Amino acid sequence: MSFEIRSDQVDVEAIMAGIRRRIEEKRRGLYTDEEVREIAEHRLDAVLDAHEWNADFAAEFRARAGRWNYQFHPETLYRSSRGAVGQALESVRRLLKPVQKLFWNPNPMIAALSRQSDLNQYYVHLLTALAGEVTKLNLELVDLKNRHLQLKGQLELLQRREKTLEDMVVYREEPQGGGSGEPGA
Amino acid sequence: MRLAFVVQRYGLDIAGGAEYHCRLVAEHLARHAEVEVLTTCAADYITWANHYPEGLETLGGLPVRRFKVKRPRDPQRFSDWSDRVLRRVAPRRGSAGLPPPVPGQADEELAWLEEEGPFSPRLVQHVLKSRERFDWFVFFSYRYYTTFHGLSAVADKSLLVPTAEDDGVYRLSIFPPFFRKPRGIVWNSPEEKAMIEAVAGNQDVPGDVVGVGSRLPEGADGAGFRARHGLTGPFGLYVGRIDENKGCRQLFDFFRRYRKETGSQLKLVLIGKAVIPVPEDPAIVHLGFQPDQEKWDALDACDLLFMPSRYESLSMVTLEAWWAGRPVLANARCEVLRGQCRRGRAGLYYMSYDEFAEALALLEQRPALRQALGRNGRRYFDENYAWPVVERKYLDLLARLERGAA
Repeated sequence: MSFEIRSDQVDVEAIMAGIRRRIEEKRRGLYTDEEVREIAEHRLDAVLDAHEWNADFAAEFRARAGRWNYQFHPETLYRSSRGAVGQALESVRRLLKPVQKLFWNPNPMIAALSRQSDLNQYYVHLLTALAGEVTKLNLELVDLKNRHLQLKGQLELLQRREKTLEDMVVYREEPQGGGSGEPGA
Repeated sequence: MRLAFVVQRYGLDIAGGAEYHCRLVAEHLARHAEVEVLTTCAADYITWANHYPEGLETLGGLPVRRFKVKRPRDPQRFSDWSDRVLRRVAPRRGSAGLPPPVPGQADEELAWLEEEGPFSPRLVQHVLKSRERFDWFVFFSYRYYTTFHGLSAVADKSLLVPTAEDDGVYRLSIFPPFFRKPRGIVWNSPEEKAMIEAVAGNQDVPGDVVGVGSRLPEGADGAGFRARHGLTGPFGLYVGRIDENKGCRQLFDFFRRYRKETGSQLKLVLIGKAVIPVPEDPAIVHLGFQPDQEKWDALDACDLLFMPSRYESLSMVTLEAWWAGRPVLANARCEVLRGQCRRGRAGLYYMSYDEFAEALALLEQRPALRQALGRNGRRYFDENYAWPVVERKYLDLLARLERGAA
């Protein structure tokens, strides 16, 4: 890349514009893995936005799954988020745990929700990966279709050219024994 | 002039972030005013557990008055509250403004703020009680309980240093009115100012873009650093917490891919505590936490500084690299870093791997470009972040506010 660096007169924005131009030239219509990922995430958004989903969900989920997925521990059901009152409430709930177990057993539910939480994470991962792969295949297909059309066009052109040349061919006899020495040699 | 600096935690062992920023400014303004620091007993920013004894002590020549945290933060409960409250204000594609408020939202956000902490009502009460003792209260970091309630108690005598990042918290419905309360605001960057003004409409609150200086070394020994750590070839440096939120995972991925694709011999040297695993790669050298002087020696020895974080209010280490005359390769998704690189003409930036690779290749292969960017960085630092400049901006703003009050 040709950047003129004159002493301290560095124009960072011009350098960055040059970098972007160079990247564009290199790509020449091909998509990078990152772009494929971005396009795939747009596809996910199309589904998720309908339910008012956070547009950055996929990225944030991958980064901090704990923030998005429910975690069920044996104590989760008894917790409270009401500050000091909540702590008292939690203690009462713990005290009454044996009594409520006389009426129903929450353990299968906790186990099921915990399993569901793992499955949620797995499904989102799977969905993101699938969307990425499908997008990649789709882009490759579009690219192949374009190349096919391009090659078809080139082939037709060559065939027409060949036919024209064949029509134009004139068979000539080679000149007989005519040495063509350089004049004045 | 008597100034009270109010900050969520304060200590000589806190080496970064808004707390360090506060300490540097307080120590420097102590040359021009009578300064006291009001803070909590917390040392850990995850739990705010009481660590220091309550009461008055002297640190770095300044009186520091500490107050107990009434209830340390429960990380699980805080995470639950954050999920509930912050999700509402997460930016969505295609929607620039704030979402319409829902009933009870402000109450929930105030409850979240209590969980955010440090929950120290005694500190807030003390701020209110001592309002006549001080001419101005300087509050650091808008997002904490102590700042929100403390500043609200003495709004007409307050100066706010928001240190806001583009993480969405400032979009909570309790904050736009809050940003209209202080008498003055000290911004870290024009980008921070524009970001807050866009949601708060507080353009009429007087303020200035100031930032912060740094504790500069007597000198730096780059050759000694290389010898001590057995570094021979060119290397890029990262200084700070090695964390996903700081963009380190992406930096590792990009850097390793760059080396693989280009055959570059560049190394990556990391200084700081690792929160995520550092890849086992001979090209990545993790030195762990290092003393301040070692950081300056590393900056002197390196070819460039990587700044991969997306969420920065200012990035002191970027300014320090510029003081050391080193260029920076920054994450362009952080508007502040991108703006700083452009204004200082002292660094390149990247949005994607392709830009990272192209920019890094340029910096690696063009010593003249590195030197020119480094010289620009040094000039930018001297013009904007030298302590006389920073001190003068604070004092001018306070004088302006005094005149306004008179």
